Amino acid sequence: MNWYNIVFYLFALIVLVSAAGVVFSRKMMYAAFSLLFTFFGVAGLYVLLNADFIAVTQIMVYIGGILILIIFGVMLTSKFTDLEIKSGTTGTVQYVLAGISTIIVAAALIIMYLNVDWVQNPVPELESTVKPIGILLMTKYFLAFQVAAILLLLAFIGAAKIARRK
Amino acid sequence: MYNAVVNELIGSLGLIKPELALLVTFVVVIIADLIFKNNKVNLGLSILGTIVSGIFLIGMSGTNTSAFANLIAVDPFSEFFKYLILISTLIVLVMSEFSEELHNRDVWMGEYYMLVLGMALGMFLLAGATNLIMIYLALETMSMSSYILSGYTKEIKRSSEASLKYVIFGSLSSGIMIYGMSILFGMTGSLDLYAIQSYLAANGFFQPAIFISGLMVIAGFAYKISAVPFHFWTPDVYEGSPITITAYLSVASKAAGFAVLVRFIKLTFFDAAGSSDESWIMMNSIPWDMVLAVLAVATMTLGNIVALWQSNVKRMLAYSSIAHAGYLLMGIVVMTNTGLMSILVYFFFYLLMNFGAFIVVMLFAHKIGSEEMDDYEGIGYQAPVLASLLTLFLVSLTGLPPTAGFIGKLVLFGAVLDSGWYWLAVIGVLNSVVSLYYYAKVVRNMWLRKVDNGKGTLKFSIQSQALVMVLGIPTLVFGLFFGPIMRWAEHSVRIFLGN
Amino acid sequence: MLIDYSVVLVYLIVGVLFVAAGIVTAALIRPSRPNPRKNSTYESGEEPIGSPWIQFNNRFYIIALAFIIFDVELVMLFPWATAFKEIGWFAFWGMIVFAFILALGLAYDWAKGLLDWEKPNPQIPSLDELVITREQYLDELKKKEQTGN
Repeated sequence: MNWYNIVFYLFALIVLVSAAGVVFSRKMMYAAFSLLFTFFGVAGLYVLLNADFIAVTQIMVYIGGILILIIFGVMLTSKFTDLEIKSGTTGTVQYVLAGISTIIVAAALIIMYLNVDWVQNPVPELESTVKPIGILLMTKYFLAFQVAAILLLLAFIGAAKIARRK
Repeated sequence: MYNAVVNELIGSLGLIKPELALLVTFVVVIIADLIFKNNKVNLGLSILGTIVSGIFLIGMSGTNTSAFANLIAVDPFSEFFKYLILISTLIVLVMSEFSEELHNRDVWMGEYYMLVLGMALGMFLLAGATNLIMIYLALETMSMSSYILSGYTKEIKRSSEASLKYVIFGSLSSGIMIYGMSILFGMTGSLDLYAIQSYLAANGFFQPAIFISGLMVIAGFAYKISAVPFHFWTPDVYEGSPITITAYLSVASKAAGFAVLVRFIKLTFFDAAGSSDESWIMMNSIPWDMVLAVLAVATMTLGNIVALWQSNVKRMLAYSSIAHAGYLLMGIVVMTNTGLMSILVYFFFYLLMNFGAFIVVMLFAHKIGSEEMDDYEGIGYQAPVLASLLTLFLVSLTGLPPTAGFIGKLVLFGAVLDSGWYWLAVIGVLNSVVSLYYYAKVVRNMWLRKVDNGKGTLKFSIQSQALVMVLGIPTLVFGLFFGPIMRWAEHSVRIFLGN
Repeated sequence: MLIDYSVVLVYLIVGVLFVAAGIVTAALIRPSRPNPRKNSTYESGEEPIGSPWIQFNNRFYIIALAFIIFDVELVMLFPWATAFKEIGWFAFWGMIVFAFILALGLAYDWAKGLLDWEKPNPQIPSLDELVITREQYLDELKKKEQTGN
């Protein structure tokens, strides 16, 4: 049991507990804050995979942008931020069916994870991954890079349409 | 050090001239909207840009290569679908001019044209994508525009509800798709479809893993083509969106979804070395054809049976488009080039019929104020030209001679029977017979129920009638002279098969 | 690389422990004797009038949306900046196109007035509601006698 494994299990625990918090919370704001810890745990997992740039991007964009947007959305749509999320139309039948399908999907995925021999490319010793990502963005994934710009432009235009005061 | 790659990228720019034309049009429309603030100018520029893109596409016929470091392929297969998408975009742009629900409420149309162009660009890229990241990005570009377009008349509650449902279901399916893509990447070490195929052909692997991940990715595509059981968004979204967007989604979005589905299945799971033109050898004995057959049967059956109960014409057309997706899926099940050709032919005729039906329904809805079948009673005598054209389109959708729809179904069922899938063809024919009922219900209401309420003839503008005729005449003509379309489709069935 | 990030991890854990230790210890040792006066909202000595919840201003959401889009652009700019010397002119023009497309979106939203700050209009209670004249008071007394008794 080396340090790597301990830290991995710690971050995995953070992710799982906060993800359960997001799903099972009664109040919207609690769910949004649990999401913060989920994102943070995932960023930790990225660092363990040597993907430092992605980890920092996760914190900057997901926590610093998207989570803020989610919290603003929650605050916009509830007069009182401690509004309870009630789902009144589920009965035992739905719970049983949902439970069964969850168990089937989980079992299938776990069996698959244990039995596939995952391709493990040897990880080179890198100072940081920022430069290799930059080179890839400009050469191999150049078109994907530009399509991402178009996608963001479409988001801007959509915002201009939907948020227009009428 | 990177000169070779950069040179290849600069060379690839010449291969994506149609997409570049669309992108430049998109940018020009945005700038023109800021400077001129005139909707007519926006519309004119969009139509001009679409035509220019079409001219570039014609200039590129016959190319069969991959571009941008294997990110997209420019081959006859994607070219056919790009033509379909361009024609749909042109028809939708003209149709929007006649749509009163968009012009009545003083809605600013600038973003509409921009989003339609953005969606067309996304669909172009999706039709040619051969890399998992490119597939995902193009799919998201297309989806993002359609989420906003379906909620364009957001003051109507139905429209906002449609958009919200579309976004929620769409995000879920995108999430599942990209999860499957990540598992596929982990197993093969590459995102490129060609590399995945060569890895899978060369190495052994755990079969259920390929099955599960492939199924997840196909689920994402099946959402776009509204196959059952991923169709739950279709009726609500089609009913709530402005009718121009419904028509666009039901034709162009499905076309792009089918293009990527076929490309993904053929490139990833089929043995390039062992396949001949007639039959594709499946690698690794996962019964993808059975999976697709089950999907096809479920889609056809559910689409047709639920359509029987609909009283709203728009919703009925939504379910009928689900059923047509089921027929089209049969063409992939047979796993031959003939099957693929039949899909292309059917898509071309489906474009004509479906757009025609939607345009007539839109024009009627503006004059009589309703989309219910019961309110169509006697409309055959009030608007004879349009009602007879609608009859033609509905007959073609059922698949009766001498319309183009009959030829489409003939080619499709022929391909299915040729490959020995007799039970599938029987189910298909039975479904077509069932569909006759709900199409005939509309025709009966229009012509055989005379209502004496003294309403005179309904007047429609010459331009709108001309547009419907432009779609109606080919529907009839291609039912008799279908040779050119068949030859074009046969020529287009070559997918670029990698280096 | 991982060794460098372990420093960050230790920093984080120690930070969390400091804050947690402070809060937990305080919660354990302090006495807890709430009364209504202590639990009411502080409003600089005055009695609070009305509900403390106000309607959230919409413009925050739009600004946050614009921020995310430019945050993603920033994320794309960092790797480009480290790599573009090796790729040369092609990378330069590629980034110009990327930045132009996003700047176009910003220009569009700006011109359509999406980034204007809408002042919220709060409901200030007017003096008329709080202070009534003698005649109004007598009228209300009369009404109460008629309906109450």
